[in-house]
Amino acid sequence: MKCLNWLLASSLVCGLLLGASSAAAQRAACSEVDTEALDWLARMARSHSEVAYHGVVTLQRGDDMQVVQVARSLADGYSSEHLTRLTGQGAQVIRSHHPLNCTHPGERLLNLGDRVDPGDCGLAGYYRFQLSPGERIAGRQSVKLEIQPRDMYRYGFLLELDKETALMLRASTLGRGDKVLERFQFADLSYGEPLEPRQGMETIHPASHPHPDYPAAGARLTVPWTVSWLPGGFTATDTVDPAGPRRTYTDGLAVFSVFLEQLPRELRPGEGLARLGSSLSYTRGMHLADQPVLVTVIGEVPVNTARMVADSIRVAR
Amino acid sequence: MTEQLRESLSALMDDEATELELHRVLGELEHNAELRQTWVRYQVARSVMAGQPVGHAGLDISRSVSAALAAEAGAGEPRSGLRERWLRPLASLAVAASVTAVVVLGGQQLYQAGSPDAASTPVAASGVSAVGFVNSLGAVPMRASYGAQAVPQLEPAARTAYRELARQRMYQYMQEHAEHAALNSPQGLIPFARVPQIEE
Repeated sequence: MKCLNWLLASSLVCGLLLGASSAAAQRAACSEVDTEALDWLARMARSHSEVAYHGVVTLQRGDDMQVVQVARSLADGYSSEHLTRLTGQGAQVIRSHHPLNCTHPGERLLNLGDRVDPGDCGLAGYYRFQLSPGERIAGRQSVKLEIQPRDMYRYGFLLELDKETALMLRASTLGRGDKVLERFQFADLSYGEPLEPRQGMETIHPASHPHPDYPAAGARLTVPWTVSWLPGGFTATDTVDPAGPRRTYTDGLAVFSVFLEQLPRELRPGEGLARLGSSLSYTRGMHLADQPVLVTVIGEVPVNTARMVADSIRVAR
Repeated sequence: MTEQLRESLSALMDDEATELELHRVLGELEHNAELRQTWVRYQVARSVMAGQPVGHAGLDISRSVSAALAAEAGAGEPRSGLRERWLRPLASLAVAASVTAVVVLGGQQLYQAGSPDAASTPVAASGVSAVGFVNSLGAVPMRASYGAQAVPQLEPAARTAYRELARQRMYQYMQEHAEHAALNSPQGLIPFARVPQIEE
């Protein structure tokens, strides 16, 4: 029932957000922008709601390699997706009945044509894009989209998209010195026919669908807090509840979340860091309104970004 | 404090600052209390990560470092050969390193002694949880004093404890992060493949 309410609300709210504007005029205002590259980026974002497929994907992070099966089907204005782990934990994640006309902030950021503010180059203000012919991946011809950050708050990417459908066939996250931190790649891909989720998994998780406009229910803190600094181009993925324990931000390509815990006792101020591939966990013990708190930044951003975001946390007025 | 200064400061912390940025930060440090505070916070945090003790140091770092930079700049003025161009950034880095090694400590109290209920803090909890604090930060701190201020010595145990905290939080929060990343990054459900252990 809750889900139905959400669907009703989302079709209204999300429908409104899909305003058309002149992409060409917008881009003309931003110099040295490869408009063809941006078109591919927007096509890639749209491919989510236009292309049904199933396939096998490898995810490489340092020495660790995972193999997962992914599938997406489209029917009657809704998409359904599932991801099944074929290595390690026997787990499956399912998202069914996601309305196609519902877009989230991350996807909208990739559609530069959606911007209304002239002089705002959107993503192109934070990354440089370059397009070139790509190689064959999973039997499909690709185009190569090199994405370099213009500042030090985000990683670079090398995206290889299907030349026909713009589906992302391979994505490499690049750290300093173009070091590959994570690589996602289709090993096998088929378009069209739906695929039933694999049976017999120990863990089946229905992906949650936080409504972009309503704060999530759950634990609340006694100190309302705010993040007073964000790297340029990052925006909240859902409505910020000042007393909620989590915030998530995206620039369209990178995502990070900030978690705040009120501690039962004093903790020595300090910071700690754990990494896996492009993912980072940065914890920071500090004080907020004279109370000890632990801030954790989790996401696919450099430690620099995490540290500055953690440092900017203040009591919300 | 301007964003640019904050950026430079952060870059300096990660040894990514250019000489120009170093000069700008140093120039500003002298009369910008907020910047000094930010520096102190970054520095204290980083010292723990690097396992360096946070001791007390001279209060006037900017002047001594500026002097060091000026001396360095004056020395090799006429020469601009290959060797010079290679050496200069190195020298600046060395200066930056010495800057980060020397901390201006403000009036902050860095450490409050562990509360007696530390050992009984429950391990399994969600939301406001204390996972990771048990046994990890239990070591007794040594206090040194300098003038009127109590200045703590952070022992290396804190570094290990914080690293462990970060690792645990990655386990604890990665799935919730993935729920949002999956809707806001172009790889569909792939962010879930980054979750160490998917829970129902």
